[in-house]
Amino acid sequence: MKHSGHDEGVIAAVLATKPQLTCRKFSQLLATAKPSDIAQSLDNVRPTADECERMAKRLELTCMSVTYVGAHDYPQTLVQDPTRSPVLFYRGKLAALNQRRVGIVGTRSATAAGRYLASHISFDLAERGISTVSGLARGIDAWAHKGVSVAYGRNADHSHLGIPIGVVASGLDVVYPKENVELWNFVSEHGLLLSESPPGTSPEPYRFPLRNRILAALSEVLVVVESRATGGSMITVEEAHKRDITVMAVPGSPRNSSSAGTNLLLQQGCAPVVSVDDVLVALGLDTRESHPPVFDERDALSPQDEALLKSMAGDALTLDQLVLRTRRDVVDIAYSLGRMETRGWVINNGGWWEVLGMQTPAGYGGFHGGGNKLGN
Amino acid sequence: MSFVSVRSATLLGVQGAPVDVEIHLGMGLPGFTIVGQPDESCRESRDRVRAALLSCDLPWPNKRITVNLANGSNERKGGAGLDVAIAIGLLVVQEVLTVEAISRFSFIGELGLDGSLRSVAGIVPLVAAIDDRTVVVPRIAEHEARIVAQGNVCAVATLAELVASIREEVPWVHQQRVSTEVSQSELPNMSDVRGQSAARHACEIAAAGSHHLLLIGPPGAGKSMLAQRLVGILPDLATTDAITSTIIHSAAHSALPPGGLVTRPPLRAPHHSTSLIAMVGGGTSSLRPGEISLATNGVLFLDELGEFAPSVLDALRQPLEEGVVRVARAKSSAVLPAKFLLVAATNPCPCGEGTPGLCVCDDRAKQKYLRRFSGPLLDRFDLRVAVTRPHVDELLASSKSESSRDIALRVQQARSRAIERNGCLNSALTAEALDEYAPLTKGASQLLRHQVERGRLSGRGYHRIRRVGRTVADLRDQSEKVDEMHIAVALALRVGVQPHFSGEQAM
Repeated sequence: MKHSGHDEGVIAAVLATKPQLTCRKFSQLLATAKPSDIAQSLDNVRPTADECERMAKRLELTCMSVTYVGAHDYPQTLVQDPTRSPVLFYRGKLAALNQRRVGIVGTRSATAAGRYLASHISFDLAERGISTVSGLARGIDAWAHKGVSVAYGRNADHSHLGIPIGVVASGLDVVYPKENVELWNFVSEHGLLLSESPPGTSPEPYRFPLRNRILAALSEVLVVVESRATGGSMITVEEAHKRDITVMAVPGSPRNSSSAGTNLLLQQGCAPVVSVDDVLVALGLDTRESHPPVFDERDALSPQDEALLKSMAGDALTLDQLVLRTRRDVVDIAYSLGRMETRGWVINNGGWWEVLGMQTPAGYGGFHGGGNKLGN
Repeated sequence: MSFVSVRSATLLGVQGAPVDVEIHLGMGLPGFTIVGQPDESCRESRDRVRAALLSCDLPWPNKRITVNLANGSNERKGGAGLDVAIAIGLLVVQEVLTVEAISRFSFIGELGLDGSLRSVAGIVPLVAAIDDRTVVVPRIAEHEARIVAQGNVCAVATLAELVASIREEVPWVHQQRVSTEVSQSELPNMSDVRGQSAARHACEIAAAGSHHLLLIGPPGAGKSMLAQRLVGILPDLATTDAITSTIIHSAAHSALPPGGLVTRPPLRAPHHSTSLIAMVGGGTSSLRPGEISLATNGVLFLDELGEFAPSVLDALRQPLEEGVVRVARAKSSAVLPAKFLLVAATNPCPCGEGTPGLCVCDDRAKQKYLRRFSGPLLDRFDLRVAVTRPHVDELLASSKSESSRDIALRVQQARSRAIERNGCLNSALTAEALDEYAPLTKGASQLLRHQVERGRLSGRGYHRIRRVGRTVADLRDQSEKVDEMHIAVALALRVGVQPHFSGEQAM
């Protein structure tokens, strides 16, 4: 055939676009044969020279690389996976997969406290040279990678930092959601952006659960920051369970339906995450050395402010609800909140006040540097 | 006698202009022409005047009648208010009345087919435009006319009565003055609002410093209830303000209180389907004042802010800054007053729940919802508070909240303190005046510095917080300096509407 002149990767990429060749069958065939041999033997999917030409151009134009089952650079972690993708499209360096990897997932409608936590955990992991794997969706996913991008922004030398890994559902040239385009570029520049969809694939809803299986398979430990009782994150958790991957969850208020899923996971016996140390322990890493002393740079609170912080008990509350709960004067409470917001203890999320970590040594250790470190 | 000139007035925007109605009776085919840029309702006066004269057994000349509306401008003259002047002029040219008898009068009013005098839009500005001649107005509008008249005011009910009075066959009838007082108890009272302490406090600050207020909360949280009661804690209008408001209401032909004078701050709550023209004014040839002008010296309440057309909301920006709106059309332009306190209410997000953790909208949906209001508009709200549905304990509580009377007293005191010190309300303080009248304590400037450094406060926001801080200080302890507590309260009552964790500066 004429396409013999083409790279095996390009042929694999063209074959991945053929609806006649199912993912499973293709994957099985690749275990024993090279893409060009498969193309030769199957009449109904045989790529034309024109198709190969166009695919090669397109991959070059969109800066995408291709790996396939049987190729020397196909990720080792996926080779043994029962539902591995036959072909993977990527930008960046596959070497990222040699690092320790933690998946961080969660709901798209997160609370401010959840977003804060996701970015802080991934920031701390990156500082310790651990990769963050996430899906670049709205909400927690995006904030996990934003934490990594802050770590890259703070360090001139990136060699010791964890490499961000993004697993997406659409083609790598179809940015979805659009507002994450900067993160998308950050991940492909400094890390690894991965998809099993050929270039130009739009983000159809059915592709997301499929994406989640790759995300789970690439994680050594999966951390769920906030999740409703059902949703994408819970699908990822299920995939992780199937692969015997440790799932950890951040506990939340029982009144908060954004934490219903994570609290459910905790009830079922998965390990809680209250600090980045918990994740390090799960990875079997020594937490003593890598761990800077836990301390809070935030100014200490007056007893009055602390009492207010305690009475908030992790709920998101309006000023009115706080007045009702504490039976204190509204001006008094407004004064306390204004003071605490300035110092980084609370945050106002569109009219609702949320607590950003309590002032206790046993609390989330990742707050070292407190609100000031990430300069929120 | 074939020619006479009768004084009347026409309306443009909220300004009256004197007009000489010239009437000429000539030979030729019987006919009736009005010249001098009359509008449609003016041209119709031919039929009304004829019917009215005949109904009152007064003669109608079967000659060629020409009416000219002269006021030295080329602007279109509108309204039915010239009917009476035309009728009187026709009676003079037919020598039913003498020129001498009518020379000290001017006439404003519309004629009914039965010869009765009816009120027209803008009686108050029209009367104000007349020099010291005696003004004849419809009896129904007598009180309004008296508020601003420079000369004497005479009121009549019918054309026949008017003719008889001018001939001095019957004396002019004057009405008794009615009380203009509105008792406080009739107004909705703040004590009806259960809970909502933050929102009530925000209302108090808004009233004291005339700071624009945005209420963010789900339907049924009591946002409109609060807005109605906000008017109740504003002090009575000063005389000049009362006259301005009366003139605007009259020009828009909007109902006036029994005494004629608008003494209480008006509340306007236009529906969100309101058009641009209805909001800012214009529409007719006389450039009718819109809702923002009607709300002058009072409150403009926009419920469901997000449902208003974006063009309508953006049209509010210039009046909010300048206190007037300049309406210009091809043939005429007018400056309408628009100095109002803006109170708006909106849902926090598409699902209406708002509480983080319970709301099901993702960041994008929230942002999209809030992006309907342009940033510059949002920036003009000094006070932004979240309102939630009151707790069941609060609804059932037997103890009443503080009444409007007590709050109004504090508001009044704070306002007079501000005026005494600055010469204006605190929301109108300029940046330079802030340094002079609202100096910050060390703690307060540190607090503000933190906020600006973290990118939570823009330059404009910085000044707005200081103005609100000044008002809080005026309400609380009358201190010379604005301290940390005042600023903290101002910050707590101006919540960020965009999600904090968006954009790069958040991290």
